[in-house]
Amino acid sequence: MTRQQFQALSLGLVAAVVLALPLFVRSATYLHILILLYLYAYLTTSWNLVGGFAGVLPLGHATFVGIGAYTSTILSLQYGVTPWIGMLAGGLLSVFVGVLIGLPTFKMRGAYFALATIAFAEGIRVMVENIDQLGPLKINGPRGLQIPPLNFGLANFMFPGKEPYYYIIVTMLAAVLAFTYFISRSKLGYYLSAGGEEPEAAMALGVNVARCKLIAMAMSSFLTALAGTFWAQFTLYIHPKSVISLDLSFEIAFIALIGGRGSIGGPILGAIVLRPVSDICRIYFGDKLPGLHLIIFGVVLILVMIFLPRGLQEPFSGLYNKVADRLTSTVPRQE
Amino acid sequence: MREMKKIQNRSVAFFAVLALVGLVYCSPALCAGEKVVKVGNIEPLSGPSAAVGQQGKNARDMAVEEINAAGGIKSLGGAKIEMIYADSESKPEKGVAEAERLINTEKVHVLTGCWNSSVTYPVTAVAERYGIPFIVPVSVADKITAQGFKTVFRIAAKDSWWTRDQFAFLKDMQKEFNTKLETVAFVYENGDWGKGFAEQWKKLAGEAGYKVVLDEPYPSSATDLSPVVQKIKRANPDVLLLTSNAADAILLTNTLAEYKVKPKAIIGSGGGHADPSFLQATGKNAQYLFDIVEWETDVNKPNAREINEKFKKKYGYNLAGESVDAYIAIYVLADALERAGSLDPKAIRDALAKTKLTTGPAMIAAYDAIEFDETGQNKQAALVIVQINDMGKGLERITVWPKNARRAGYTPVFPAPQK
Amino acid sequence: MIYVLEDLINGILMGSIYGLTALGLTLIFGVLKVINFAHGSMLMVGMYAAYWAVALTGVHPYLALVLVIPVMYLFGHAMQDIIIKPIFKAEKQVREPITVIIVTTGVWYILDNLSLLVFGPQYRTLQDNPLRGKMLEFGDIMISVPKLWGFAAAVATALAVYLFLQKTRMGRAIRATSLDREAASLMGINQYRIYNVAFGIGTATAGIAGVALVPFYNVFPSVGVLFDIKGFIIVVLGGLGSIGGALLGGMIVGVIESVGPQVMTATWTEAIVYALFLLVLFVKPSGLFGVKYDW
Repeated sequence: MTRQQFQALSLGLVAAVVLALPLFVRSATYLHILILLYLYAYLTTSWNLVGGFAGVLPLGHATFVGIGAYTSTILSLQYGVTPWIGMLAGGLLSVFVGVLIGLPTFKMRGAYFALATIAFAEGIRVMVENIDQLGPLKINGPRGLQIPPLNFGLANFMFPGKEPYYYIIVTMLAAVLAFTYFISRSKLGYYLSAGGEEPEAAMALGVNVARCKLIAMAMSSFLTALAGTFWAQFTLYIHPKSVISLDLSFEIAFIALIGGRGSIGGPILGAIVLRPVSDICRIYFGDKLPGLHLIIFGVVLILVMIFLPRGLQEPFSGLYNKVADRLTSTVPRQE
Repeated sequence: MREMKKIQNRSVAFFAVLALVGLVYCSPALCAGEKVVKVGNIEPLSGPSAAVGQQGKNARDMAVEEINAAGGIKSLGGAKIEMIYADSESKPEKGVAEAERLINTEKVHVLTGCWNSSVTYPVTAVAERYGIPFIVPVSVADKITAQGFKTVFRIAAKDSWWTRDQFAFLKDMQKEFNTKLETVAFVYENGDWGKGFAEQWKKLAGEAGYKVVLDEPYPSSATDLSPVVQKIKRANPDVLLLTSNAADAILLTNTLAEYKVKPKAIIGSGGGHADPSFLQATGKNAQYLFDIVEWETDVNKPNAREINEKFKKKYGYNLAGESVDAYIAIYVLADALERAGSLDPKAIRDALAKTKLTTGPAMIAAYDAIEFDETGQNKQAALVIVQINDMGKGLERITVWPKNARRAGYTPVFPAPQK
Repeated sequence: MIYVLEDLINGILMGSIYGLTALGLTLIFGVLKVINFAHGSMLMVGMYAAYWAVALTGVHPYLALVLVIPVMYLFGHAMQDIIIKPIFKAEKQVREPITVIIVTTGVWYILDNLSLLVFGPQYRTLQDNPLRGKMLEFGDIMISVPKLWGFAAAVATALAVYLFLQKTRMGRAIRATSLDREAASLMGINQYRIYNVAFGIGTATAGIAGVALVPFYNVFPSVGVLFDIKGFIIVVLGGLGSIGGALLGGMIVGVIESVGPQVMTATWTEAIVYALFLLVLFVKPSGLFGVKYDW
């Protein structure tokens, strides 16, 4: 077996397991947890285009989730536009806002960039909370928007069961992963990581770092907004403190950092580990000692960072390579 | 290679920790074969509303303890009630996820919760989808029972009733004390709850012919409310209507006193003003404040005093809005279970819909009875208005309205003295 | 017109207290080049420390400083030494290790919820302290006495920290490390020790802010979150790492919050603060007093 074959085989195996999972997981609870897990993996992978490859730390990505969620929801509630089109509209609006944020902020480094994105996101949340009606659009301020569960069906992006949502988010996740893989191998990807690590050197080599970052930001905000529409259609209720919250922005970034930013598998690993930890902690400890679940969550964050500052993908890819080596190499490789 | 080894060691340590944590998760007590009624409760047990979530949990636990000690649900062969709590952290999406879990995995027969209207609202849709009866002790937003759902039952009054009674109270007081009130000011937290109240106030003030001199939402995360207090002072209203959560209610009351803002009447809307720590944290500054609530310690109802004493002994503070409704909710549920004689959610729902409770511990609130209309709203959910004053035993909350519920021998201080 | 003066005064007083809450944040950033997301939680710990020190002994709130400052210093020192140092050692080559942000966030979750477990969710105020509710009145203008004390505490603390950094041997070592940690360690300065001290001082200032707040504010487990974002904004406005900038940034935010509501609803002033924040970032990203090197 060659390395390529092995890779194709394991990829196919994972795909088969993921696709077949709903056949075995009948409980809506676990499907719900799985869907959220994929959703966060998707969000984090989208974030990774900027936060991982471009080497900055955006902490306001919930803005784009909010834009996606609000755009498609308002369009469908008030104008009867199917959320699928609203999804694209939200994505485009999000690109606009993303570039608007990126233009000035990409000149900053480190802490300033992180804080600027926080301020942008919080500013937008405050605005949404203060606006009940924007021209003809009913935003409903802090009270949020509810999507009545009336018209089920694919065209309306609304289903009574969880399985359709499962397959939609799996498709979205697969697409965004493939896209990231493609980008990471493209010229843009190399420019981005060069610009992220050594901006001066990259610029000296003639790479337009700022433009590359902007393109990455545009892609990232577009993809993130799509997840916003998914979120709205999945929970059928959005309000500023849920879809534009700082907590959400942080969680997206943390999953990436825990998993290993800048790698394709990192966000997935982060979501696989962190999401269940937070869910399980809440489920089993949330009622007994209030707040204990968040303490455990905090401890896990700290431990991972102390022992694996490069994220979880490091030991995992090591493990993967070892297994792959053992299975594929007939000739013992040089240590 | 050594680098590799180090990484391995680290990951071993890390997974050891994960495994350990996992071990702890996997040991929830497996319940015995005995018949139990599983009640799922979603409350904000951590986060900004943790205080009120804890109060609701304590009250529920006390009711369950009493019911189980008295032999459980007799028509179900003495079935015990088992409580399962879930933490919403005041976040709608967490509440929804927990509702899904409670229904699908824990297989609860009934849901209760969630205090925050913004959490309760989306959870009603989940309960409806699975046909699980959902008892809402307090979440006052009108819209919760206005969706045509069959499974939601609310014990407390809805916000249009709260505001209606606040204005009825104003009218009665003007008549009783022969004082004219002309101007009103609205100050409220900028959230689902505050906005809902303010909308109703605007309508009612227009109908009753008051002049609105200030309509001011403030961010619930405000760290300094003196600018808002200044605005109130300059608007100089006769009546100040407030909707506040605990932290801001305390801050607002103290700041109002500091700036010597003394409208003829300040009226709270429960919530933060009814929080057990409110009086401790404001002291004299809260004197003469009116507050609208579903229950008060001096309510003239059998057992009310004893039950409150017991609660206070157990947890160190008085029953208040959320906790008294939570306590009632469990007794309403027990009554419905007795009549249903079945654990089928549909049978429980039907029994709940036919509730007509007029006796027992569930009657400690000012409600004459508990009876749900077709939307699931408790038709008899009455409200009382209290005044905070000192009758020689320190500051306490004294019922003043409706007049037939007023504490014997107490005359409300109205308008508030201008010192 | 007289109203504007009154609001202005309140804004400056309250703003200086905001500045005090952010002082530690900017100091820690200046030295460690790390945003301490646990800063609000440290303020919360400081508030509880102040609360209990006064509630249990019954002394004047500002006398509690004698107890609060050393306790908080040791707390911050220990936190940096035990939890944050390992990350710095692991990420030696990175100038602004992002992983530390996660660690401090972990600390935030732990502290906030630990205090929920230990102290319960109640809201606490110091009811009978000599400062509560005291007001100075000049005709129509009213000034809160506890806020005035807070203002004095803020200015005194900022001045003391500034002088410490300028005049003492340790202060100079801290500044050297913040300018160039490699060069400083070549000169024989143990950078981890410097970090411990900087963290300790930063945490102690959070304790002082706690003392300034408790006479008129309420204490509860998640109180720090309210000041968290505000702190970030203030330090960027003033310039990350600048002591005077934090104080001034705080006052700007305080004045907007205090004067703004007289012409709009209070909820919009938040938006104004964010807008100003972004404006400053775009026009002068290093903040009003920031060093250009840091952005």
